[in-house]
Amino acid sequence: MVNLKKKKKRGASIPDAGMSDIVFLLLLFFLVSTTIDVDTGIGLALPEYIPPEEQEQVPISKDRMAAILVNENGDVLLDKKIIAIPQIKENLIPRIESKLDLPKNKKLIVSIKTDRKTNYNLYIQTLDQVRLAYAVVKDRVGNNLYGRDYGDLGDEEEKAVRDKVYEIISIAEPEAIK
Amino acid sequence: MQFEKKRAETEQKIPTSSMPDIIFMLLLFFMVATTLKEYDVLVDYQLPEAESIEKIENKRLVTYIWVGKDGKIQLDDNIVTLDEIGRIMYDKRVAIPNVIVSLRVDKDSDMGVLLDIQQEIRKVDARRINYSTYLKI
Repeated sequence: MVNLKKKKKRGASIPDAGMSDIVFLLLLFFLVSTTIDVDTGIGLALPEYIPPEEQEQVPISKDRMAAILVNENGDVLLDKKIIAIPQIKENLIPRIESKLDLPKNKKLIVSIKTDRKTNYNLYIQTLDQVRLAYAVVKDRVGNNLYGRDYGDLGDEEEKAVRDKVYEIISIAEPEAIK
Repeated sequence: MQFEKKRAETEQKIPTSSMPDIIFMLLLFFMVATTLKEYDVLVDYQLPEAESIEKIENKRLVTYIWVGKDGKIQLDDNIVTLDEIGRIMYDKRVAIPNVIVSLRVDKDSDMGVLLDIQQEIRKVDARRINYSTYLKI
């Protein structure tokens, strides 16, 4: 006798209980094998290159300049006086602030000069201090004008503060090798 | 007196069927957020630390230059000499006009090497730079 009875359908399912385990493994692999590379650093724009024979000396009044020299012995000089690196910030803040209301071409210029044998880390620490001084002033101006720190301002307010403080950091032309 | 544990009549089960979906999302995030393009760094270097640092927003614009403890200079995947930097950076600057040069210089190196590199990249007008540093805590 032929069995005409319809076969009862059996539930067909893919076992997916182990799926999350597999995906966890994948996740772990990616977590371990990749490093989220943080690209942090001090951003700067170098001055335009002008060949030495075409360079001009522009006279700049003394009180507009803050000349920092980091020499090869590791001494840091601000306006020819030896200074400890952590003091640079405190020293510059009042000088930047005293020129806030002047036009852009009268604002403070911070010039950083190094010797060829100067340690790179010292240079970075010095540059960092100068930038910190500007950051403090920007925060203060932001608080005075808008009641917020510089980082919390909107785009236009940020620009206004930036124009008012107007950071000029000059990386001095290296001296020719003697 | 009778103590009988009260049990809720509903079924007690945490629904786990969508767990793989959640983990897939995490996985996708990590796959997208991480850049696999890594350079083979051939020089030995240790970055300095600083406080007033910023993040490079657009990684596509960045070209890396390493300077190792021994003064060797690496640009992209190769050790280069000072003279070659200008030529390579010129090509890069033509391809990406607003290229950022990220300088990963060992903290014990002399400024001389850095000044030379800076002069070279200034000559080809690739003037946006970034001194790579860690955050000082």
